[in-house]
Amino acid sequence: MEQTFDFEKIGKQMPYTVPDGFFDTLEEDVMKRRAASVSNGKARTIRLAIRTALAVAACLALFFIVRSSLQHDSDAAADDFENVELAFSNLSTEDQDYLLENFQDDLFMNNNDIN
Amino acid sequence: MAGNKRTVTDDKAIIRTLEDNEEKGFRLLMEKYKEPVYWHIRRLVVNHLDAQDVVQEAFLRIFRSMRQYSGENSFKAWIFSIATNEALRLLGRRQGREMLSLDDTTTALDLMCDEYFDYSRVEAVRLQKAILTLPAKQQLAFNMRYYDDLSFKEIAAAINSTEANVKANYHYAKEKIIKYMNSNN
Repeated sequence: MEQTFDFEKIGKQMPYTVPDGFFDTLEEDVMKRRAASVSNGKARTIRLAIRTALAVAACLALFFIVRSSLQHDSDAAADDFENVELAFSNLSTEDQDYLLENFQDDLFMNNNDIN
Repeated sequence: MAGNKRTVTDDKAIIRTLEDNEEKGFRLLMEKYKEPVYWHIRRLVVNHLDAQDVVQEAFLRIFRSMRQYSGENSFKAWIFSIATNEALRLLGRRQGREMLSLDDTTTALDLMCDEYFDYSRVEAVRLQKAILTLPAKQQLAFNMRYYDDLSFKEIAAAINSTEANVKANYHYAKEKIIKYMNSNN
């Protein structure tokens, strides 16, 4: 087949055109979108940092509340025992002997593991 | 095309500037590549408004992926690879897919009318029609060689293929175009 078509004649010509000033605005449009995406990225990072800080603060607060509650229970138990000791020492010798004689071997009073 | 008097900065200088001053480097990169990248995308997606969206996405992706450029292949090939992928993504979406495969036998495109099209350039219109009948790989090989002056090695890097494969695709494309142009004379 005879080849009549010659690339040289057309060269790099194309039928496509662009609006006037398109390439000048293209650069600015991309820079704007880039700036927006960078600032969105920063905003996302800040939001994430705030959420993380809040979560850590909530965990710490919970930890201190639980620890303080456990401490309070333990202090209260110690106070109760001291009060019993004090009350016992305020009793007369006869009463102390009576209590010891009757309740020293009491299963429910002496065995803490029963519960 | 680019008939301006602006200084064309060397790719290595652009990369160095990007490392020192991202904003300035990116402006240099855009100044040099905005037109070739736009026209590359336009030849693939045809419609101006689509090309406008795709070129913006491509440059944003280039910006986001700058740290991934290893320097193994030419910077131009890397930029064209991102631009090509963005264009293939759009072509895929048109067909309800995530991305058009390079193995697709056609990009299923015809010249679509929009106001940014000069029908008076009859031969140029016919040439674009001929190019659009080619399978994706042949279109890319032909366009990047003929219009963008990329070497076969650079094209291979841009479309993740081999130099031999690109050469074969380019020659097949050229033969088919000549055949089309002669038969539709």
